[in-house]
Amino acid sequence: MIDSLYRWVDDRLNISGGTRKLLNKIFPDHWSFMLGEIALYSFVILVLTGIFLSLYFVPSQKDVIYHGSYLPLDGTHMSEAYASTINLSFSVRTGLLMRQMHHWAANIFVGSIVVHMCRIFFTGGFRRPREFNWIIGVNLLILAIFNGFLGYSLPDDLVSGTGIRIAFSILEALPIVGSYLATFLFGGNYPGTAIIPRFFILHVLILPAIIAALIGAHLGLLVKQKHTQFAGNGATERNVVGSPMWPIFIAKTNGFLFLVAGVTAALGAAVQINPIWQYGPYVPYHVSYAVQPDWYMGWLDGALRVMPSWEIVFPGHMIPNAFFPGILLPGITFTLLMMWPMLEARIRNDTLEHQILEEPRNNPWRTSIGAAVLSFYFVLFGASATDVLANYLQVSLNTVLITFRVLCILVPLIVGPVTYKICLELQHQHRPTKTKRHNIVMRSAEGGYSTIEVQARPGDERTILPPIPVDAMILVNDDGEPILADGGPVTVGAGAGPGAGSGRGNGSRGLFRIPRSYR
Amino acid sequence: MGLRLLRKILVPFAALVLAAAIATIAMGHTHSTTAASTPSMSPEAMQLASLASQTTKGQLAEGYQLFAAHCSFCHGTRADGTTGIAPNLQGLGAGTVDLWLSTGWMPLKTPSAQPENKVPSFSPSQIRAIAMWVASLRPGGVPLAPKLDLKSASLSTGFSLFTLNCAPCHTITGAGDALADGYHAPPLHGISAAQVWEAVRSGPQNMPIFGDRNITPSQLEDIVRYVTQKIEHPQNPGGLGLGGVGPVAEGFLGLFAGVGACLAAAYWVGDRTEREEEEDPHGHGTDHGPEGPETAPEGAHA
Ligand code: HEC
Ligand code: HEC
Ligand code: HEM
Repeated sequence: MIDSLYRWVDDRLNISGGTRKLLNKIFPDHWSFMLGEIALYSFVILVLTGIFLSLYFVPSQKDVIYHGSYLPLDGTHMSEAYASTINLSFSVRTGLLMRQMHHWAANIFVGSIVVHMCRIFFTGGFRRPREFNWIIGVNLLILAIFNGFLGYSLPDDLVSGTGIRIAFSILEALPIVGSYLATFLFGGNYPGTAIIPRFFILHVLILPAIIAALIGAHLGLLVKQKHTQFAGNGATERNVVGSPMWPIFIAKTNGFLFLVAGVTAALGAAVQINPIWQYGPYVPYHVSYAVQPDWYMGWLDGALRVMPSWEIVFPGHMIPNAFFPGILLPGITFTLLMMWPMLEARIRNDTLEHQILEEPRNNPWRTSIGAAVLSFYFVLFGASATDVLANYLQVSLNTVLITFRVLCILVPLIVGPVTYKICLELQHQHRPTKTKRHNIVMRSAEGGYSTIEVQARPGDERTILPPIPVDAMILVNDDGEPILADGGPVTVGAGAGPGAGSGRGNGSRGLFRIPRSYR
Repeated sequence: MGLRLLRKILVPFAALVLAAAIATIAMGHTHSTTAASTPSMSPEAMQLASLASQTTKGQLAEGYQLFAAHCSFCHGTRADGTTGIAPNLQGLGAGTVDLWLSTGWMPLKTPSAQPENKVPSFSPSQIRAIAMWVASLRPGGVPLAPKLDLKSASLSTGFSLFTLNCAPCHTITGAGDALADGYHAPPLHGISAAQVWEAVRSGPQNMPIFGDRNITPSQLEDIVRYVTQKIEHPQNPGGLGLGGVGPVAEGFLGLFAGVGACLAAAYWVGDRTEREEEEDPHGHGTDHGPEGPETAPEGAHA
């Protein structure tokens, strides 16, 4: 049935050539290559649940009076946006589950992007020729964070409204253009009536479209440039080892889609997120103490909190305090992140192409810098909870604030060197110690000693032996002797043509193992 | 091989269906149970309110004795603070004393100790006796909480007044928070209607005093109803409430439980092929035609 349908379509559109190629794309078997897929699938879930939400959500700031099933809000003035989100939560069947799944998926989406990015960073997967895909990835992260912020603002409740207020003043803090830009983006002064409709279009249409396009480009480049891979299993710079797209990878990845969806559904069903009915509608002169954004904005909130209140005055222009944590910090963060592949290549003078990933321990410099920077942002995220912590530990808020100021400098300074040391320990290898120089010791007539440096005698020079990589699997012939491939790669596997394999290979896995040549 | 493939898809799919089913059931359940809740006063509050109308000579005497035994060491025998280690209580009213005793804040162990919420040291009638005796020393101050008519109070006015007056310190969910310089606004859980009333009128420690003109008696009833019902028993139809502390708790959970579970899933799925090969070395290469020649170009990396 499916077969004949396929043939019918193929006869007309001739898709099999390209598809065949795609179906045979080789995917590495290491589990860390599934991390990007968490992000992909949580995006799929976001789109699906998001479409459901947009059926009921009314993006309008028109003032309405609520009469619904949540009594504490009965007869209260609120925006249509807030009222429709309340209805979505209480009156629409599965509406609350969809809202919660959407929100949990957003948290997981950004989280998995970060984890995925760490994998790429610490293994050097961004090196030539993949700098471009790294840059696309960083842009995806920025867009995901930004879209999350927009979505968080849509319900127009007290907590998110306070967040928009903060965002507005951060924009205003931009030197010179700030206040114009802010009034332009928000369609007038804060709060105005244009924010929610504008945020809505950006949130459900424009940014998701850009994100989808970038994901397409990201994956397209991945297919074109092929995966990187860890050494071992016979992987080299010149081959690809893994399972083909069809049928193994398709099966794995579909199962994985269900698992990610299951995690989101379980969280959405069991744990409440963003109970906006408890927060009430946004009213500019109402404030709740201690409102925080979602975690992916949390590091910015933390930075705003720990930033000492300096105000720098240039002649004729004052830079407001919010500029440093609110604009300079993310600006520097994302610029450096985007430039990192080029920076590292320049610093290490490395212009080679790399298909084999590095074990993080083998590049202690990069690993320790990455760990230190990561710990810095983690401390900032923690700092967005200063009040919660102070309350929980029953200590003074100021003590906690000052502690975090110290921590966000101290922790990276400790994490960096410690990681460096751990990397070295993990390498299990002795670094070349001081080498002897070739000297002749002379004794003068007076009894003093002196040395003259000389050429080493032949065969006595200082040599450093290159570490010899050992294959995870060494092919042996029937006598147990290793097969050494001097004439060219020996390819094993049922798919590699007759005679090449010893029957040990596995056709549908299509594993290609090519022994390195021994020097 | 077909079977194995099927299993790979079906097992997670079954998990998903199960999760969704549990989800729908759980949501339906919480929906129906949280809709109805009746306004109520704690028994002690009722008792206190009804006792308030009838003070007897005997009670004043009991109050005097209890005060002399437990409080006068710090507050002075006439509750006038002449000892210098504790404030003057005269003129503060019975309501203030009732709040400080029914929350367990008083008596302190040492004058420098911080008042903390604990089980009250006295029975409701003893508390009332002490409160009436202190109030009898000088008129004025905050009276005992009257009998509150919470049934006819408006929840929505209460919510909005709470947002305006109380959320700036106690947070919008009443979870409590650290204010500047070591002051804490306590969580508004596990307190009685009378305590809320007395706290608003008397303004303990760093909390402002809200008089009749700030918050009218009927508005105060609205607030008390909102606090005792929706703050103390928040409607959490969505599942676990996470203590009402908001996005930070959600973020930690999303990262560690959400992303963590996905990572575990990735680990489980991702290394699957490796293990299957060990189970079944002569694999499934046969029923699916070898596609070797097409895969070969993958091997030749440019
Ligand atoms: C160990 C000393 C000590 C004892 C015993 C003690 N108190 Fe106090 N009391 C204090 C101190 C100190 C304060 C001020 C607390 C503060 O403001 O932090 C205080 C405050 C109070 C207040 C609030 C005064 C205000 O200005 O709002 C009341 C009411 C009160 N005490 C009643 C009592 C009663 C009734 C007793 C006996 C059951 C009692 N206290 C026993 C030390 C004591
Ligand atoms: C300026 C900040 C502030 C505001 C505004 C405020 N409170 Fe308080 N409230 C406090 C502090 C601080 C305490 C703790 C007093 C103590 O420990 O003695 C407190 C204590 C209380 C208590 C006693 C809690 C307990 O643990 O027994 C209640 C009840 C209460 N507040 C209710 C309210 C209500 C209702 C409102 C709004 C009308 C309100 N508060 C407004 C700061 C505030
Ligand atoms: C990039 C991916 C996306 C992220 C990170 C994201 C994030 C969010 C967040 C955090 C909220 C707040 C939910 C809450 O109230 O608790 C939200 C709301 C919303 N989102 Fe998204 N979203 C994304 C994509 C989409 C898409 C593609 C659509 C529609 C097709 C959509 C439609 C909506 C709607 C209508 C709301 C408001 C309803 C509500 O608040 O419950 N979202 N989004």
